[in-house]
Amino acid sequence: MKKFVLTVSVFTLIFLSVYSIYISQSVENNMEMTNIQAYADGLFTLDNLAWGSTGQDVKNVQWKLLQWGYYNSSVDGIYGAKTYAAVKYFQSKNGLEADGVVGPKTAAALGITLNAPPSATKPESEETSNNNGVGRDDNVYLLAKAVHGEARGEPYIGQVAVAAVILNRVEHPDFPNTIASVIYQPGAFTAVSDGQINLEPNQDAIKAARDALNGWDPSYGCRYYWNPVTATSKWIWSRKVVVKIGKHWFGN
Amino acid sequence: MKPIRYKGYIIPSILVIALAISGFWGFGQYKYKNDYKLLLNNQYQRMFFDMKDHVETVQVSLSKVLVSESRVQNSLLLSQIWQQSLYAQEKLSQIPVKREQLGKTQKFLNQVGDFCHAMVKNQLEDRPLTSEQRNTLNELQGHTEVLTEELAGVYENIMKGNLTFGTIQGEGDRKLKEADKQMPDMQLVNFEEEMAEYPELIYDGPFSDETLNAKPKGLGTKQVGKDEAVEIAKDFIVDKNVTNITMFPEGEQNDESASIPAYTFSIATDNKDELETYIGVSKTGGKIIWMENPRKVKENKLSVDQARKYAEKFLKEKGYEGMEPNYSLKYDGIALFNFAYKEEDVTIYTDLIKVEVALDTGEILAFDASAYLRSHHERDIPQPKLTEREARDRVRLDFDIQNIRLTIIPKNGRTETLCYEFKGKYNGENFIVYINALTGQQEQILRVLKDENGILMI
Repeated sequence: MKKFVLTVSVFTLIFLSVYSIYISQSVENNMEMTNIQAYADGLFTLDNLAWGSTGQDVKNVQWKLLQWGYYNSSVDGIYGAKTYAAVKYFQSKNGLEADGVVGPKTAAALGITLNAPPSATKPESEETSNNNGVGRDDNVYLLAKAVHGEARGEPYIGQVAVAAVILNRVEHPDFPNTIASVIYQPGAFTAVSDGQINLEPNQDAIKAARDALNGWDPSYGCRYYWNPVTATSKWIWSRKVVVKIGKHWFGN
Repeated sequence: MKPIRYKGYIIPSILVIALAISGFWGFGQYKYKNDYKLLLNNQYQRMFFDMKDHVETVQVSLSKVLVSESRVQNSLLLSQIWQQSLYAQEKLSQIPVKREQLGKTQKFLNQVGDFCHAMVKNQLEDRPLTSEQRNTLNELQGHTEVLTEELAGVYENIMKGNLTFGTIQGEGDRKLKEADKQMPDMQLVNFEEEMAEYPELIYDGPFSDETLNAKPKGLGTKQVGKDEAVEIAKDFIVDKNVTNITMFPEGEQNDESASIPAYTFSIATDNKDELETYIGVSKTGGKIIWMENPRKVKENKLSVDQARKYAEKFLKEKGYEGMEPNYSLKYDGIALFNFAYKEEDVTIYTDLIKVEVALDTGEILAFDASAYLRSHHERDIPQPKLTEREARDRVRLDFDIQNIRLTIIPKNGRTETLCYEFKGKYNGENFIVYINALTGQQEQILRVLKDENGILMI
C-alpha cells in the first residue's frame, strides 16, 4: 500500500513538472512569435514616392495637387512625367528642395501621410479581405437553434415564421434589441426554459433562420405566436391573431 | 447458530448504509440547489438594483437637460440618457417577470433612449431643441419620476424579503407549464397604467410610433377576394401543374394587425420531388408579397452569373421593370439576389426585391417583395444641390474610390434621403460612404464583407 501511494505521488509530481514546463514554453513561444511579427511589420516601412510609383498614395498626391492647381491631368495613381513636373513646381513654390520626389517633408506640406501600403505587398485583398471575425453565421445558428427547439415538425413556412417573430421582436421597442437577448429573455420561449434549444438544429431550421434573416416574413410582422392547445397564459388570448400556420397561431 | 445470526444482520445493515448514502446524497443535492438558487437570486437582484440606478440617472439627466442651455452639455446629457435607458431596458429584459406586465415599461425605456439619440443627432447638426421637443422631454421626465417611485417600492419589497426572483427556478423544473404563472409579480401597476395613456412619440428614429405604424405604400387600392387571390397565386407559379391549393386559416384580426394584410396559401403540385410551395397574396392590390419553395438543391450546376440571368428574367416576366441586381449570397445550393429599383439613374435602396435561384435548374425558389411593397411609390426625386465633385471633397482624401452614383437610402427606418454613394477601399477593407446630395452631410458608412459565398454589408 505504501509503495502504491509512493509511486502515484512520484508520477503526479513528474507529470506536473513536465506540464508546467510545457506551458511556460508555449507561452514563451507565443511571445517570441509576437516579437518576430512586430519586427517583420517594422521592415515594411514605406518608400518615398517618385517617378514610376503607383497606388493610392500617388492618387492622394495627384488629388491634392489638382485641387491646389499645380496639376491638371487625371488622378490615375501613376507617377508619370506630369506628376513629376507638378511635384517639382509645388516644391519650388513652397520652399522645398525641388527634386520631384515626395518624401516625408513634401508629403507633410501636401497634408498627406504616406500610409497606404504599396499594392504589390498586399496580395489578393479583393477576395480574401480579412473580415476580422465579423459575420452573421453565429446569428444564423442561434436563430436556427431556437427555431428547431420551438417549431421542429411544423410546416417549413411555420418555422420561417417563428424565426421572423424573433426578428420582429428585435426591431420592436417592447422587447430587447438583440437576437440573443430576445431568445433568452426569461420565460419568453419554452424551448429555452426546458433546454430544447440546446439540440442540434437540422437543415430545415438553418434554412428557415437564413430566410428570415434575409427578410422573408410569413407572420406579416407578428411579435407573438402560441399553440392554442397548450397555451397556459390567459393573457395570450387577448392578442390579435393574424394567421394560423400548423400548430401555431401568430399575432400581435 | 452463529452463521444464521450473522445472516440476519446483513440485509438491515446494507439498507442502513444505503439510506445513509442516499440521505447524504439528498442533502448534498438540496444544498446544491439552494446554492444555485441563491446565486441566481443574487444575479437577478443585481440586475434589478442596476436597473433602478440607471432609471434614476435617466430621470436626473432629463431634468438637467431641461435646465441646460449649452449645446455641448446637452449633447453629453442626452447621450447619457440614451445609454442609461438602454442599459436599464437591457437589464429589465433579463429579470424573470411576466412579460405582459412590463411590455410598456420596456417600450418606454427603448423610446426614451431612441428619442434622446435622435436629439443628440440634432444637437450635433446644430439644431437646438424646439419647444415641442422640450415639452416631450418634460413629459418623459415626469413619467420617469413615476417609474422611479415604483421601482423604489419594489426595492423595498426585495429588501424586506417579500420578493425573490430566484423562486421560479426551483419549482419551474417540475411544472414547466406553470412557470409562467410562478414568475414573481413585480407589478409596476401605476406606471404601466400611466403608460396606457402615454401619447405616441413622434421623432426620427427606428422605435418611433410613426415608424412602427407606417402603412405600405406600394400596394395600390384594389381589394381582392380569396378566389381572386387563388388565381393570382396560381398565375405566379405558372409553369407548374397545381394539384391542390389550401389557405392557411387567417386570424380574426388579420386586417388590422398584419403589417400587410394577406391571404397565405400552400400549393401542392404534381412534381413528386417537391414539397409544397407557400405564397402570400396581399388583400389590397392583390400583389405577391412573398413566395417560398423549400425544395432541397442537391448540386451546384450554375454559376452565380448564370443564376442572376434567371432572376432578372423572372422579375421582368412578373412585371417588375427597372430592377437592378445589387448583391448576392450563395448558400445551400441557392443564390440569393438583392434587386433595387432604379429610376432616372438613381438607385432606390428602399424598394428592394429578393430572389432565390436554385443552382441546379435555375428555378426561382423564393421571392420577397415586402420591402418593395412597403416603400415603393411615385417619387419626385429632387435635383442634387451638390455636384459629384463637391461631394467627393467631403469624403476622406485617402479613401480609394472605385465607383460613384446617386442613390436614395432609408434613414431612421422611415424617411428617405438622396445621397451620393462612394464605393471604395480604405486600408484594404471595402466600404461604402454615403454623402447627402442636398446638404453634403455624411449620412452613412457601410462596411462590405466579401467571402467566397457572397457579399454582406454591415
